[in-house]
Amino acid sequence: MSSRLPLVPENTEPLPSLKENQGMLTWVASVDHKQIGLMYLIITMVFFVVGGLEALLMRIQLAQPEMSFISPEVYNQLFTMHGTTMIFFVVMPFLIGVGVYMVPLMIGARDMAFPRLNALSFWLIVFGGILIYYSFLTQSGAPDMGWFAYSPLSEKPFSLNKGPTYWALGLLATGISSVASGLNNIVTILTMRTPGMSMRRIPLFVWMILVTSFLLIFVIPIIASAFAMMLLDRLLGAAFFTPAHGGSAILWQHFFWGFGHPEVYILILPAFGIISEVIPVFSRKPIFGYEFVAGSTVAIGLLSVGVWAHHMFAVGLGDVANLYFSFASMLIAIPTGVKVLNWVATMWGGKIIFATPMLFATAFIIEFVMGGLTGVAIASVPIDWVVTDSYFIVAHFHYVLYGGSMFAIFAGVYYWFPKFTGRMMSETLGKWHFWLTVIGFNMTFFVQHFLGVMGMPRRTYTYHDFPYWGSMNLISTIGAIVLAASVLVFIWNVQVSLRRGKKASNNPWHAWTLEWAASSPPAVHNFDLVPPVRGRRPLWDLAHPEQPDEPNAKVID
Amino acid sequence: MADNKMLIKFFIASESIFFLMLILAYVNFKGSVVDGPTAESSLNPYVTGIFSLFLLASSFTVWLAGRSLRAKNHTWLKVWLLVTIVLGVIFIYGQGREWAGLIEQDITISRNVFGTTFFTLTGFHGLHVCVGLIMLSILLGLALFGDFKGPRSDGVEVISIYWHFVDGVWIVVYSVIYVWAFFL
Amino acid sequence: MEKLGGLFNPSSPEMEALAGLTYYTIAITVVILAIIVFAVFYIIVRYRKSPADKEEPYQNFGSLNLEIVWTLIPCAIVAVLFLLTCNTMKAVDPPVDGHEPDLIIIGHQWWWELRYTKSGVITANELHIPAGKYMLARVESIDVIHDFWVPELGRKIDAVPGHPNYLWIVAGQPGIYLGACAEFCGAQHANMRIRVIAESEEEFKEWEKQEIVIPPTPRSGLAGEGARLFQNKACMNCHTILGTAAAARVGPNLTHLNNRQTIGAGVLTNTPENLNKWLTNPQKYKQGSLMPNMKLSPAEVEAIVAYLEALK
Repeated sequence: MSSRLPLVPENTEPLPSLKENQGMLTWVASVDHKQIGLMYLIITMVFFVVGGLEALLMRIQLAQPEMSFISPEVYNQLFTMHGTTMIFFVVMPFLIGVGVYMVPLMIGARDMAFPRLNALSFWLIVFGGILIYYSFLTQSGAPDMGWFAYSPLSEKPFSLNKGPTYWALGLLATGISSVASGLNNIVTILTMRTPGMSMRRIPLFVWMILVTSFLLIFVIPIIASAFAMMLLDRLLGAAFFTPAHGGSAILWQHFFWGFGHPEVYILILPAFGIISEVIPVFSRKPIFGYEFVAGSTVAIGLLSVGVWAHHMFAVGLGDVANLYFSFASMLIAIPTGVKVLNWVATMWGGKIIFATPMLFATAFIIEFVMGGLTGVAIASVPIDWVVTDSYFIVAHFHYVLYGGSMFAIFAGVYYWFPKFTGRMMSETLGKWHFWLTVIGFNMTFFVQHFLGVMGMPRRTYTYHDFPYWGSMNLISTIGAIVLAASVLVFIWNVQVSLRRGKKASNNPWHAWTLEWAASSPPAVHNFDLVPPVRGRRPLWDLAHPEQPDEPNAKVID
Repeated sequence: MADNKMLIKFFIASESIFFLMLILAYVNFKGSVVDGPTAESSLNPYVTGIFSLFLLASSFTVWLAGRSLRAKNHTWLKVWLLVTIVLGVIFIYGQGREWAGLIEQDITISRNVFGTTFFTLTGFHGLHVCVGLIMLSILLGLALFGDFKGPRSDGVEVISIYWHFVDGVWIVVYSVIYVWAFFL
Repeated sequence: MEKLGGLFNPSSPEMEALAGLTYYTIAITVVILAIIVFAVFYIIVRYRKSPADKEEPYQNFGSLNLEIVWTLIPCAIVAVLFLLTCNTMKAVDPPVDGHEPDLIIIGHQWWWELRYTKSGVITANELHIPAGKYMLARVESIDVIHDFWVPELGRKIDAVPGHPNYLWIVAGQPGIYLGACAEFCGAQHANMRIRVIAESEEEFKEWEKQEIVIPPTPRSGLAGEGARLFQNKACMNCHTILGTAAAARVGPNLTHLNNRQTIGAGVLTNTPENLNKWLTNPQKYKQGSLMPNMKLSPAEVEAIVAYLEALK
C-alpha cells in the first residue's frame, strides 16, 4: 500500500531529495515508517544539541563557587528545560523513532499497522516541543519549577508565570503521541509478523519495544491525568495539589512518580534492545539466554509499576511504605542484573569485532552497571536519606541515562546508519567520538558521586566554597566541555558520512535479523520477498543451512 | 487490513487508567472536606440516576444498531444509531442541568476538594461522551449517505466498543460518587 | 588535605550508622563492578577477532543452570542488603512514641524558622542544640516543600505543607555543622542554608536565656533613629522584634539578629558592613528573595544597622 494521499506525489524513493520538486512535501506528508523514523532521529538530534547547550551553561555557572554567570531565575529555567528536553524530546523519541523504523523490517512487515497514526505521533512531538520552547520567548520565560514540577511550587501563588502551563500542555501533546506509538507498536507486533515468526522468534529489540509499548499505554495516562489536574489548579483554581486549599502536595508526587518510575524503564528497555542486537552480531554468536533476556524484560515491566515511592523516601510516608518500596526496588535490580550477565556471556567465547557500535555497546555495560549499582544502593532507605536530592543522584541517573541510554543510542546509530542511508559511518571519526565521550562523560559525572555525599544539594545555581567542592565542580565542567566536543564530532561524522560515506551493502555487519535482508536503504515497500523464518536468526539459517538455529523447526509455526 | 478492534481495545485499557487516576483522586479526598459542600450535601442520586438510565439504554441501542448492521438491515441501523445519539444527548443534558444547579449554589471546581474532584471526574467523562456522540453522528451521517450496508464494518464496530466503554466508565463513576455517598 | 564534610565527617551516632551502611553497601557494589569490569577487559583481550580467522565461534545459546545460579546469587545479595536496611532504619529513625517536640522547624521561601517549644525562643536559620542530647523536631512548611538536611548529623527530611514530619537531631560533639535545604523550592533554593551550633549544656542554656530577653528599644541617637525607621519603613510588615509592635512572621525574627553568625540564611556573614550591604539592596545578594529592595538612603541604612546592632 503506497502513500496514495491526495495532493502528495507517490513516494517511490527511500530518501527523496529535498532539492527535488515537492521533495519537502513528500517528507512532511509521509506516512512511511522509514521516513517517519528518520524524521524522529533528526528532530531528536536537534533537541539533543539544545538540551546539551542548556547543560553546558549550567556547568559553566557551577564551575566555581558563588559565580554569577547566570542568574538564579535563568538557571532554574535551564535545569527544568534540560531535564524535560532530554527525557521527552531526546531519549524517548529517539528510541520510539528507531522502533518505528526497525520493527516493521525486523518482523518482515510492509509498514506499521497504522501509518497515519504513526505520522500523527511524530508531528505531536514536534508540536509539543515547539509549544514548550516557545515559552522562552514569552515575558515570564520558560518553565522553572523543575521537570518534576512538585506542588505547591508549581501552583499558584508560587508559580505565577506561564512557563509551567506551556510545559504541561506541551507534554500532554507528547503524551498523546507516546500512547499512540505504544498502541501502534502493540498491534503491529502482535498482528503483522511474517509467517514463521512466532513470538518466541522475534528479535529482542522487538521484545523490548513491545514491553515498553505496554508500559507507555498504561503509565502515560497517569501523568496525563496529573497534568490535567495541575492545569485545572493553575487555570481554574481547583484544589488538587494546593494544601492551603485542602489539596495534597504529596498526591502530585505519587501521580508523578507513578508515571516517572516506569518512565525510566521506558527510557532504558529499548536501549537494552539495541544492545541485545549489537552484542551478538559483533561477537559472532547468538544472544546467550534469549528466553531469559525476554522474560526478565517482562518481569521488569511488571515490577516497574510497583516501586515509584523510592523517589519519596524523604517525604515521610512511614516505615511500612518505605520498607515495601525499598524491597521492591532492590528486587527489580535482579532481572536487570541478569541481562547484563547474559550480554557478558554472549561476548564470552566470541570472536569480537570492535567496530564503533561494539565500542559503545561494551562501554554501555560498564557504565550502566555503575549506574545500576548506585541505584541498588539508593534503593536502601537509609542510604537514600543520606544522598537523595544531592549530586549523588545526579551522578546515578546520568550514568544510567547517558552511560546507558545514550551510549546504546549511539551504538544503534552506528549500527543501523548503513541501513538508514546506504552509507557507512566513518570508523575513524567514530573512534574519536567514542573516546571523547568516555573521557568526557566519566569526567563530568564520576566526581558528582563525591560531591553528593559531601553535601552538595541538587538544583542549586551556586554553592559555598567548601573544601574541594570548587575543584570537583571544575573537573565536572571541563568534562562537560569534552562531552560537548564529542557531540560535535558525532554530528560531523553523521554529516560527512551522509555525503561521502563508503557505500554500504545490504548486510555490512553480516548480521542475522530480517532488516539486513532489505537493501540499504530499504525499498519503499521494504521487501520484495521476505526470507523464510524458521528461527530467531533467519539470515544465519540461510547462510548456514547445515547448522540452523532450530533444526526441528516446522516451516510455519 | 489493520486490526482496528485490537487497537480500540488497548486504547480503552489505556483510557481506563486515566479515569482510574481521576477516581483515585476523588477517593483520596472523599471524607477530607473540612468545610463546604460534599457529595452528600449537594448531589441528587435519583435525578442523576434517571439520566444514567438513558446512557445505559444507549448502550443497548448501539448494540441493536450493530445487530442491524450484521443483519444488513440498513434502515434499522440508521434508526438505532439515531436513538443512541438522542439518548446520549439526553444524558449530557442531564449532566449540564446538574452542573448548572451546583454552580448556581456556588459549588464550583475551585470551591473545595469535593468541587474539584467531582467536576473533574464527571467533566472528563462528559467530554468522552461528547467525543462519542460526535463519532456516532459521523457514522449516522455516513449511513444516511448510503455507507454501512453490512454485514461488517470496522468503523461501526470500533465506535460501538468505545461507546460501551464510556458507559462502563459511568457505571463506575456513578458508584464511586453517588452510590458511595448515599447508599453505603 | 582539607577536612571533607558530609558523609566523610559523621558527627552523630545516627550519621555513623548511616555512613557505616553506605560504606558497606558501596563495598559490595564495588566488588560486583570489579567482577564485571574484569570480565569485560578479559573478554576484550582474549576474545578479540583476529582478521585472519574466518570461522564463526561456537554458537552457544545459553545454559539454564548458569541462569539459575546467577539469579539466585543476586537474590541473596538483595536479601542481605534489605536486612541491613531494616536494621539501620530502626537505628537512625527511632519512633516519635508520643514525645512532644522540642523544636518546630518551619520552612519558608528561603529561610528556616526555628521555634523552641520549651523555652519559647524564636530564631532563624541557626539551630543551637546541646551536644549529645536528642532533640525531637517537628518539621513543617508554610509555603512549598523544603527539606531539612545537615549532612554530618543525620538523615534528611522533607518539610511538606500540610504534612508535618518528625526528625531526631543530635550532635555527638560540640561544633558547627552546616546544612542546606534539599528540595527545590524556587529561586533561592541554593541559599537556604542551615547552621547547627552544638554546644555544651551550659552554653546552650546561656544562649536560650539571651534569646528570650526582650531588648529595650533605643530612643536616642542613631539607634533610636533606626528604631523609628524600622516602624515607619514597612519593616514591621514582615519581621518581628520583641518589645515592639513588629510581630509579623513573613520574614525572620530579628530580635537577636546579633546572636547569629550569618544573615540571609547563609548568604553573608553577620557583620555591620554586610548588614549595611544587605539593607542597601538585598536583591543584589539574594536575587528573587521575598525581601524587596526598600530603596533606603545610606543614612537610613546606617541608622537601622545601628538599631539592630543595639538590640541585646
